[in-house]
Amino acid sequence: MLYNSEPNPLGEQVGDITMESKLRSRLENSVVRNKSFLSSLVSYATILAIFMNLNSFQSPLIGFIASSIYFLINGVFLGNAFFEKEATFFRLMLGILLLFMLLGFVGWFAIVCYNLDTIWVTLVLFAVATVCSLLNRKVKRKK
Amino acid sequence: MTDSQQGYNELLLTSEIFYLLLVALSFYLLFLSRTGEARTVWEVLHPVFIPALFVATSLLLTIVLSSEKVAYKLLFVIVHSVLVHSLFSIIFPAGDLSGQQMVLGRTRIVYNNAILHGWPPWTLGNVFSEIFTRFAGINFQAALSVVFARMFSLDLLPVHLFLVPVLWGVFTPIVAYFMTYSFTRNNKAAVFASLLISAFPYSTYFGAISVPNSLGFIFFFYAFYFMLKYLDSNGFQTTFLMLAFSFFSLMSHYLTGVMSLSFLLLTLAFKAYKSEKKTSPSTTRFSLMISFVVSVSLLPLSFIYLRFFRPTTQTVFTLDKLPFTESVGFFLPHQLFIQFLQNLAKSVGLFFLGELMYASDLKTILLFIIGPALALLYMIYLLFKLKRNPSIKFQVHLFFLFAAFLMMLIDYGILTLFMDDLPLQPERLWVFRDFIGVPFVALAIHGVFSSVNAFLKSRSPPTVSFATLKVLSKNNFLRILSLLLALNVLIPVVLGGWITLSLEVSYPRVAPLQTTWYELEAVKFIEENTTEKYVVIGDIWTIFAGEVIVGVNNPRAYYFLELNKTGYDLFVNMKRDPSPQWMLQAMNYTDTTVAYFIVTKPRLGADEFNSVVSRVLQNKQLTVVSVPGVSPEKLYVFSYRKG
Repeated sequence: MLYNSEPNPLGEQVGDITMESKLRSRLENSVVRNKSFLSSLVSYATILAIFMNLNSFQSPLIGFIASSIYFLINGVFLGNAFFEKEATFFRLMLGILLLFMLLGFVGWFAIVCYNLDTIWVTLVLFAVATVCSLLNRKVKRKK
Repeated sequence: MTDSQQGYNELLLTSEIFYLLLVALSFYLLFLSRTGEARTVWEVLHPVFIPALFVATSLLLTIVLSSEKVAYKLLFVIVHSVLVHSLFSIIFPAGDLSGQQMVLGRTRIVYNNAILHGWPPWTLGNVFSEIFTRFAGINFQAALSVVFARMFSLDLLPVHLFLVPVLWGVFTPIVAYFMTYSFTRNNKAAVFASLLISAFPYSTYFGAISVPNSLGFIFFFYAFYFMLKYLDSNGFQTTFLMLAFSFFSLMSHYLTGVMSLSFLLLTLAFKAYKSEKKTSPSTTRFSLMISFVVSVSLLPLSFIYLRFFRPTTQTVFTLDKLPFTESVGFFLPHQLFIQFLQNLAKSVGLFFLGELMYASDLKTILLFIIGPALALLYMIYLLFKLKRNPSIKFQVHLFFLFAAFLMMLIDYGILTLFMDDLPLQPERLWVFRDFIGVPFVALAIHGVFSSVNAFLKSRSPPTVSFATLKVLSKNNFLRILSLLLALNVLIPVVLGGWITLSLEVSYPRVAPLQTTWYELEAVKFIEENTTEKYVVIGDIWTIFAGEVIVGVNNPRAYYFLELNKTGYDLFVNMKRDPSPQWMLQAMNYTDTTVAYFIVTKPRLGADEFNSVVSRVLQNKQLTVVSVPGVSPEKLYVFSYRKG
């Protein structure tokens, strides 16, 4: 049971996950392709929305929607950059985990240097989105 | 698709819908159990919650053991995992008392922009302390919580409370799946492992509290998985991710950072062993042994040298904790021998169980040790199997995991028996041990499941269904029926029971009164109705409530640190002699203009509470602040204004 099967990489071995990999969603493809920097621009637009929401509306609903789009786009970027061979589900989840790490790291740097008020959080989001976009671009170029 | 397949798919879909309904019901029951005055979750938990969770878990196990897609199975496991880790956060309005509130207190001052020009706001003694404080996990967690709170435009409290339960609930099952799959290539066992991690009580507890150590565990798990992957791979990405996750585990907490470092060393040694064992077997074995010893030593030594970074830590090696050093008291040889045996048993018990050895409840002990014991036994079984057939795959992985598990046992023993004044409870090592052990428990149980399944297939007609059972002889009928029951009902029910019972020992049964609704209301009322800078004198429980709402050491709304001697002395003096002089002293000390004094009946006890309150009221120098909705039978707030 334990050692009989051939040691294939995850993406090749798991039947149902491989199917998902092959049928990589159109949405994910369009985000990764980042044609005319559209995905990056949407990501920056969500940062603007978060900033405006913080300063004017303070609505959790707007915050939730904008943050979800931000997580999705940048999570897909990082997932594509580091876990390209994994199945869609894992690529997205691991990409989001890396995104959280990056947000935490840049946020930590801001705390240690100055503080983390609304403007600094916006800068942190901007810096992380830029890094994700650049990493995605780098991987795309390699291909 | 055949009729039987279609029937099976429909049954599976029904089970999944029923499972999701049960999880929704469980969440609803948790919200119904929410209370502002309780000691433990068990005092107020809805009586239907545990039965509902048991049925949901058993149902989830049948889904996990079915042929459903892996991603869906994992999604169901994630939902279950978030549920079992959310008890504190949903039931108590301020989460679990103390640890996570202390973290929240420090995060609050970042969130409220109370500290500018970098953290820490105070000067530190030396460069090592400076490094330690800047890299302390609390900063990393504070950054995550504050960024999320601002992104979602929510208050910090709910974000902080659910940060770890959600991150743990989502990412720990995934990494347990990955780790198991990486050396077994067995999907079912891997998904099974992702669920079984909830059967380890200490892991569940750490997944339920938002403290930096819990975040560190999550990053460590991923670092460990990439270490395992690194044994097979020379790719840049695997190396980078292994190092990145190790770094973030260090950023989160020094315990997980040191453990990552220890395991990195072990991984490098195993990698070298793997590539060089054929050319120079004896040298590689020797270097592997040396690396193992160094890896084991790193954690105890790091606690000793932690004093350079954190002067309050004074950990030392000691022999005083060994039961052998206890005085014998009588001198007859056979009595000495009996005493020796008792001490030996006690030492062995302490080595493996630690404080758990003194637990009075056998069920608790069993639930804590059954998983690790099963993992160790199955590891040993696999190693014996390996000896008979050394050509099988993944043997280095297996040796590595065994060495890592052994390392945890030895480190735990060293910390428990040979070290004193530790900066943390050695039981935290059980989380590492459990994570390493969970794939083996999953494999062992899956092995039993597969054997029953194979036996069933070999002894039955090609398609066994309840319809075909009719044509079988009576003996075969009974045998196959019992196996079918064992496979589809008994195994999920027993395992579901195990996981549910583990939850019962994961959350403490004894605890002080949690932060109450009236303490929170008092702190909120003061904050909302005071325009000047103020200081609050109160017991440690009031400070915890203050940490939840305004933070600690906040220059505008000052609450002393939990163990601050000045704050403690001021409170004791106020209780003894409730006069304005102590409040003036507090205001001068904190550069504030208003001082508040809070006393709470359930904390002080009725006698002391009544005595303090009556003296303050007789004194007439302090103003009584009435908090709307809070009865004077519960809590009193007094104030005094400078000038």
